[in-house]
Amino acid sequence: MASVARNVSGFGLSWLVVMLAAFLLLRLMPGDPAFIFADAGGLGATASLIADLRAAWGLDRSIPTQFLNWLAGFVTGDWGVSFSTGRPVFDEIVRRLPWSFAIGSLGLAIAIIGGFVLGFAAAARPSGVADRFSRLAAIGAQAVPAFAVGFVLLWLMAIEWRIVRPLSGSVPERLLLPTLLVALFSLGAIARVARVAFGEVTERAYYYTALAKGIGRSRALWLHGRRHAALTVLATVTPELAWIIGGTAIAEVVFSIPGLSEFVVTAVAARDYAVLQAFVAIVAVWLLLVQRLAAMARARLDPRLSDGGLAGGMR
Amino acid sequence: MSRLRSILAGAAFALAAGTAFLPGSVYADQPSISVGKTFLAGSIDPAEGSAGWALVTHGIAEQLFHVDREGLVVPNLARSAERVNETTWNIALAPGRFFSDGSPVDADAVAAALNRTGELNPAARASAGRLTFEAAASDELTVTTERPTPILPSILAEWAFPVYREAGDTLIFTGPYAVASFEEGVRFDLVPNAHYADAKRRPEITLRRIADGQALALALRAGEIDLAFNLPVEALGMLRADADLTVKSFPVAYQYMMWMNTRSEVLSDTRVRRAIDLAIDREELVAAGRAGEAARGAFPREFPFAAEASVARDVALAGQLLDKAGWLRAADGRRMKDGAPLSLTLDAYPQRPDLVTYQPVIRAALEAIGISVTTRVTATPTDVARSGEYDLFLWAQHTAPAGDPSFFLSLFLGSEGDNNYSGWQNAEFDALIARLGEEGDAEIRADLAREAQAVIASEAPVAFLVTPEWHVGLSSRLAGYEPWGSDYYIIRPDLMIAE
Repeated sequence: MASVARNVSGFGLSWLVVMLAAFLLLRLMPGDPAFIFADAGGLGATASLIADLRAAWGLDRSIPTQFLNWLAGFVTGDWGVSFSTGRPVFDEIVRRLPWSFAIGSLGLAIAIIGGFVLGFAAAARPSGVADRFSRLAAIGAQAVPAFAVGFVLLWLMAIEWRIVRPLSGSVPERLLLPTLLVALFSLGAIARVARVAFGEVTERAYYYTALAKGIGRSRALWLHGRRHAALTVLATVTPELAWIIGGTAIAEVVFSIPGLSEFVVTAVAARDYAVLQAFVAIVAVWLLLVQRLAAMARARLDPRLSDGGLAGGMR
Repeated sequence: MSRLRSILAGAAFALAAGTAFLPGSVYADQPSISVGKTFLAGSIDPAEGSAGWALVTHGIAEQLFHVDREGLVVPNLARSAERVNETTWNIALAPGRFFSDGSPVDADAVAAALNRTGELNPAARASAGRLTFEAAASDELTVTTERPTPILPSILAEWAFPVYREAGDTLIFTGPYAVASFEEGVRFDLVPNAHYADAKRRPEITLRRIADGQALALALRAGEIDLAFNLPVEALGMLRADADLTVKSFPVAYQYMMWMNTRSEVLSDTRVRRAIDLAIDREELVAAGRAGEAARGAFPREFPFAAEASVARDVALAGQLLDKAGWLRAADGRRMKDGAPLSLTLDAYPQRPDLVTYQPVIRAALEAIGISVTTRVTATPTDVARSGEYDLFLWAQHTAPAGDPSFFLSLFLGSEGDNNYSGWQNAEFDALIARLGEEGDAEIRADLAREAQAVIASEAPVAFLVTPEWHVGLSSRLAGYEPWGSDYYIIRPDLMIAE
């Protein structure tokens, strides 16, 4: 019980420190939201309008007061009002988050499963088709802009072949291409990580023992290498999981998905403090949760990594 | 192909099996017309942010006054406006106008709506402070302004003042279209307002938000939309090659200009500023941006108060002016004075990519007359402009958002203007602006605005460069659509399917 309380208080304290740092950093960003709003609306940034906007958004108060007001509001469900849209931030985020989460999580899930299988195939047959393809996919993700790939997907699927309506079709049709785009850009890297991890197993004594027992190369590799490869891939993708919320902006812009990521990019340009602060708060909670869940998953894959187990990796 | 599509759609469905919590939509019934835009109203409440602007462009809402195709402020839901004293106006409402639920547009409803917006939305208090509306009769309003204004009709044409009626939790508007349903940030399904003239001739419209310009062009090419508003210039060739599509370009009032910081030692000399103005070839800028036309002055030529002609390039005269100012050519071609070279910074911002495109063109033009130029790009243009830490600053500004010239001239160039970025002070100009602020007659106001622009041209605190063009792509069904009014009036009563 004491351990749980310690964890919860540590979690809360970490979150609070991140929130305070984010609050101060946002205020230090160059650019005044009141001027940006007035300019964008063609209103003419008169002194009286700027003062009016600042008062309406609570920016005329001291920084500590602003922070305490935001904190009290956030924990009670009042996340403030977006400077750009004039709507409650909570409502804006709640209706956009599912789109980003769906694209990010489905895309990453496809990349993990596909990358794992591809990595296994590449390790099973070095210099084979899968090995070459995974290398090409990893290099391509680094070399080709996601925007360009997105437009090529749009061109081929919607114009040349006309097999999906990515901009006006049903929800699954609209999710298909952005999900593929996210998956494509993670697949290669995950496959190479899996390939290396499986490759390490082929140098172990127990792998040769399995071969000596008459088990085929691929089967031996799968039976004795998958757990180690899964652990390695899990360690690699854990930081990537953070980007499920807020990291899919390009896919959302290209395919016109009304997600949170694109909204956050717009909020940065508008210096929409209320939206950005709430976004950071959610991402911080998500990150802390992901770290915890990943630790639990690692412990399940390798009990030696649990709190009560031996420290260290695979021996 | 249909089997492949079915398979892929099935795969997509399986892929999204866990997304049942997403907003659901039924797309089976294709509407008559589909319109794609890069922005969409986030709500249907004009009291929230800039929703009023979007609702007017969507053809859902209207104001008491609006700006017509010729750039004139004309009555719309109002019939006339009469100034009673410094801060009081009487507005007569037009007869025979209705909300989309069939109820008449009366003074009580208008007053309730505009008082509510004024209270909740700072944008409605920008031009003359808080406006208070009171029903004097069923078809007459009395409006009291916090600050005196001779141009209340123009203020009421601003996007912050759509008329609506509260009906429980819903807002009802008067535009040619009514909202049948909407998915925030994604789409609006619009039906003709049955109580608007010619309703039966009007098609139903689905309005979609397509955030990226290239994606917008591809959607038009794919036949997913009939009207694509504000296409990127790079996509026009592809669309023009398609015989089933039409691309129309039209000038918009977001004028491109270049501030010259008159507070700097070099640019405090009018001769230097005029030399810079004369050295720039506007047609080269148009060619570089691949759209637009040379700016005639502060306003596009459609406006009745636009200047008569643009500044013509005259390199010889520019050189003479620099000579007279003491900036003489050295052996290496650079202009020097007291041993120091004539060197300036030229700022632009990426939010308006055309301005960044213009930078090398302007640098080449100025270097041709011996001025060294260092280009810079800033992401926070307003901060830099207000700080005064620049020499030359490329800028985009809608100079007549509500069809009135005094907004831009007084706010950006008046000595006491809140946005006087160039720091220019000119008594003759200020006197003209003061008269403009008091004059109510439209023709006299246009004359005063032209006189003020002549004073600007003679002193060059700003160089007006290009009136940009935007581009609209149309399917054959909407080939008769004519765009105008920048992005303020996109879906209008005359948007009809071509016969």
